[in-house]
Amino acid sequence: MIEARGLRKAFGTVVAVDGVSFTAPDGRVTGLLGPNGAGKTTALRIVCTVMRPDAGWVRVDGFDPVTDPREVQRRLGVLPDAHGLYPRLTSRENVRYFGRLHGLHGADLDARIERLVSLLDMADIADRRSEGFSHGERMKVALARALVHDPQNVLLDEPTNGLDVMSTRALRDIIRRLREDGRCVLFSSHVMQEVAALCDDVVIVAGGRVVADGTPEDLRRTTGCDTLEDAFVAVLGTAEGLD
Amino acid sequence: MRRAGIVFTKEVLDNLRDRRSLLAALFYPILGPSLLVLVLLLVGRTFRDRAESDIELPVAGAAHAPNLMNYLGSHGLDIVEAPSDPEAAVAAGDADVVLVVPEDFAEAFTSGQPAPLQLVVDGSRNTATISVGRVRRALDSYSRRTGALRLMARGINPAVVDALAIEQVDVATPQSQAANLLNLMPYFVVFAIFVGGMYLAIDATAGERERGSLEPLLTNPVARWEIVAGKLGATMLFTLVSLVETLLAFAVLFNVVPLGDSLGIRLSLGVGTFATIFLITVPMVLLAVPLQLLIAAYTRSFKEAQNYLSMLPLVPALPGMFLAFLPVKPALWAMLIPTFGQQILINQVMRGEAVAPLHVGAATAVTVVLGIALTALVVRLFERERILFGR
Repeated sequence: MIEARGLRKAFGTVVAVDGVSFTAPDGRVTGLLGPNGAGKTTALRIVCTVMRPDAGWVRVDGFDPVTDPREVQRRLGVLPDAHGLYPRLTSRENVRYFGRLHGLHGADLDARIERLVSLLDMADIADRRSEGFSHGERMKVALARALVHDPQNVLLDEPTNGLDVMSTRALRDIIRRLREDGRCVLFSSHVMQEVAALCDDVVIVAGGRVVADGTPEDLRRTTGCDTLEDAFVAVLGTAEGLD
Repeated sequence: MRRAGIVFTKEVLDNLRDRRSLLAALFYPILGPSLLVLVLLLVGRTFRDRAESDIELPVAGAAHAPNLMNYLGSHGLDIVEAPSDPEAAVAAGDADVVLVVPEDFAEAFTSGQPAPLQLVVDGSRNTATISVGRVRRALDSYSRRTGALRLMARGINPAVVDALAIEQVDVATPQSQAANLLNLMPYFVVFAIFVGGMYLAIDATAGERERGSLEPLLTNPVARWEIVAGKLGATMLFTLVSLVETLLAFAVLFNVVPLGDSLGIRLSLGVGTFATIFLITVPMVLLAVPLQLLIAAYTRSFKEAQNYLSMLPLVPALPGMFLAFLPVKPALWAMLIPTFGQQILINQVMRGEAVAPLHVGAATAVTVVLGIALTALVVRLFERERILFGR
């Protein structure tokens, strides 16, 4: 479970995140939805320990990323916005590197990698160097890398960016499977269809603030709109930046 | 520490597959020693040729002094016809030296007056000094011999005109004579240290960020100092390989290539010499690697890091170049300048001189302390959020 309360983060005079709170419970898919520049990536970076909030706090299964980064990192699988691979390493070696950094080794690690290779349908690229991989292939390896230690909480920043239809469908399957396993999935997107298709809970972020949250059903009801799309436009006041 | 080892192993494996990293660690280090030995061979050959074999001496008006020409001819100088404008020929470098015998030479010679001769030289050309010196010595000895005969003809002991008996004692050992040219060697050793791990340092910092793999890496349960330690270790390994290879190349080349023959001196740069040089230079690795990582991690892109890091070897090499022309006496103050002190020490070891333990200790201590401070700075830089974006 991931909880965030009153997160604030400024870069110089620009306030990227301004009092964001949300809760992403286990066994549910929570979507951070908002236009580009809304502060989604910064909020996720605070959760995954690479940035410190100016104010507010985060708990991941009860651990604070600022004071207990190691405990948080062990419980998180992260697919950041920039999820580059090592081009001179094979897919398997890329995943193994992160697995070993999580303290896994030997037959146990090999078995986990094997499971991910079949789960993500990447047998054909498993032993190829990742140089020249397509966008979808890179995403699969990065996702395998994020899941290799079987984390309870999974963070995905704009995971469907630049993916073709088949890869997007595969990704949705993985996310649903994680939810069925009782994992906490928190992902950000500016693509409304993604959120509508996957999320149990939606947190709409704009200008660094949470402007609305609830289930898609709640949002439709409170805004009095027939479709989720209309609901988004209603709470944001504008459709700018949303696909 | 085990996680630092995982980072280390990955960086080494990754960069062993990188052509640029491999070239920097394995190929560039051989380049310096090979070039230096080649230059030494060429210079040595030039000097020996002029010192030992017959050289041509262009003479204008040879017909005015046939006896002198015979004498010069029997002392290793081939008399040839001088160019029409001797001064222009020497100035242009077509001839090292031209001897001009004026028409009144014979008259002055037979009447016992100092017979005039003109030696046209270019004093600014170092390569001509050997030819000029040999012609000078031949003319001097002819002059002395003729003078001595004249004194004896008048019943005077020729020795009375020599007020002084000068014997020049050259204290330079054969090794230190060669070392005048070998003064460039410290430059190549420093070069090897600052080039060997250069691409790995960039790849592991600015490159890692540019590829977008830095942020995922930092979300793993690994302390930042462990990540830095792994990257530092891998860069040091490549740098050490480069350093050892350079010293080995020097050791092999100096002992296999007949440098002694062509320089006219004997070199005995044995295993002990190179082992000592290695021990003196290793602390520089502890300084160079954190400095490279710090600069590369601070830059915005691979390209920018490459620009800075390829300039870096030139900075400590400047004193090395200076040393080649103006040898500095080993002094404690010089040892306190990292890399400069080591270059002086390398020079001393090569010259077969004893190095002062105090000097080695001072140079090593300053370098290591600075290296540790730089390492702490790298860790601090990695602990900041800014590491995600660079400068």
